[in-house]
Amino acid sequence: MVLAGALAGCAIVPQNRRAKLADPTMAIHEDPLEAAQREKFHSTREGAAGGDGSTAGGGCGCR
Amino acid sequence: MALLTALVGAGRARADGADPLSDAAILGRSPGIRVESVRVRFTQLDQAGTGYQSQAGPPEGPGSQQLVVSTPQAELVVKQGRKLSYRLEVPFDIVTAASPDAVDIVSSSSKRNEAGSIDLTTTYQSAPETAVFLRGAFHLEENFRSWTLGAGVTHAMADDNAVLSASLNEVIDWFDTYDVHGVPQGHVWRTSSNANLGLTQLLSPTTVAHVGYGGTLQRRNLGVTWNSVPLLGGGLGPELLPEVRHRHALLGRIVQALPWRGTLKQSYRLYLDSWGIVGNTLETQLYQRLGRGAYVRGLYRLHHQSAADFFTTRAAPGLEHRTADSDLDGFTAHSYGAKLVLVGSTPSVREVTFDLGFERYHRSNDLRASLYSCGLSLLF
Repeated sequence: MVLAGALAGCAIVPQNRRAKLADPTMAIHEDPLEAAQREKFHSTREGAAGGDGSTAGGGCGCR
Repeated sequence: MALLTALVGAGRARADGADPLSDAAILGRSPGIRVESVRVRFTQLDQAGTGYQSQAGPPEGPGSQQLVVSTPQAELVVKQGRKLSYRLEVPFDIVTAASPDAVDIVSSSSKRNEAGSIDLTTTYQSAPETAVFLRGAFHLEENFRSWTLGAGVTHAMADDNAVLSASLNEVIDWFDTYDVHGVPQGHVWRTSSNANLGLTQLLSPTTVAHVGYGGTLQRRNLGVTWNSVPLLGGGLGPELLPEVRHRHALLGRIVQALPWRGTLKQSYRLYLDSWGIVGNTLETQLYQRLGRGAYVRGLYRLHHQSAADFFTTRAAPGLEHRTADSDLDGFTAHSYGAKLVLVGSTPSVREVTFDLGFERYHRSNDLRASLYSCGLSLLF
């Protein structure tokens, strides 16, 4: 996080050079429904997944 | 005379309640309530494999973990005025063909189980670069209730080159408890207190990076309550878990545009917890545009984790903590998949996106799953 904070001060990309960044394939986060589904799949099967604030769910999705 | 006319005009405007320098006069009337986007998705999961926590097999285990789950999801994003927006997500799980075990003596939760959630996030744009949000969620299924309350903030800096985010969540689960023979033992609960920090940074006109940290403290009953553990002398005993779990997850992700109209996304996640589990996850996604209205995505994910300190498939009597849950075992998991995305527009819908995907998951301790999905999103 400290390294990232330091990087934040180094790179400035002006608005008129962000055309490629606007492409949906460049999105840093996945489609929200797909992300939720994949997160639930992994967090209910892997003890080392989850722990990042996602809704727990029940039954086999208890962790 | 012209100045007098202008002053009189301005005075009339004020008398009518229409200040010529007001937000409404300059920006136009408030847009009211409008739908920003609608998304629907359907996922079918088909799972096979075995685990020692399951009683759907020989007494000494392992038992079957066969499972079929259909998950329809819907999401609606509505904007009210210029500063308020609401995101409503409603996912359902319809579990069929799960391996029945002892809990089915008193319930049918392993045979057929419908579960649903309502998840509402309200976001207020308090300044052009700052948004705060509140989140409330409720999950309901046959023997389980869960409530989530959350709040967070995002703040953009340096002309949107960097975005900082922070959030807090509190989750309370309340559920029925059973012994290993399926006899109900009343209700138990647990809490999860979670804090997240994230930073997204533009590194170049073709590169974006994200780092995040999530920390969670879980307390009280942290199991499903009907998991069993094979005992050294024969027979089955209950799973015994610590009542506290500290969890830490650190995530790094980088997105890089490629010269041949492709995109590479690479992420790494490190996980540590107080039960002795250490996890490392690498994921690579490669996108390739096929034209203006279509692209494909290939995915590979590698996950490795160590076992919980108290994992065992043959527990000696007298152990304070024990589990045979294969999810808490040490294993390596591989996932690979592909997705086709078609993008178009209509006169009334700014962007229509349809996708079709497949993902295969297999684990070194005998668990396999196939996920089939399709999604439709409308952006207005």
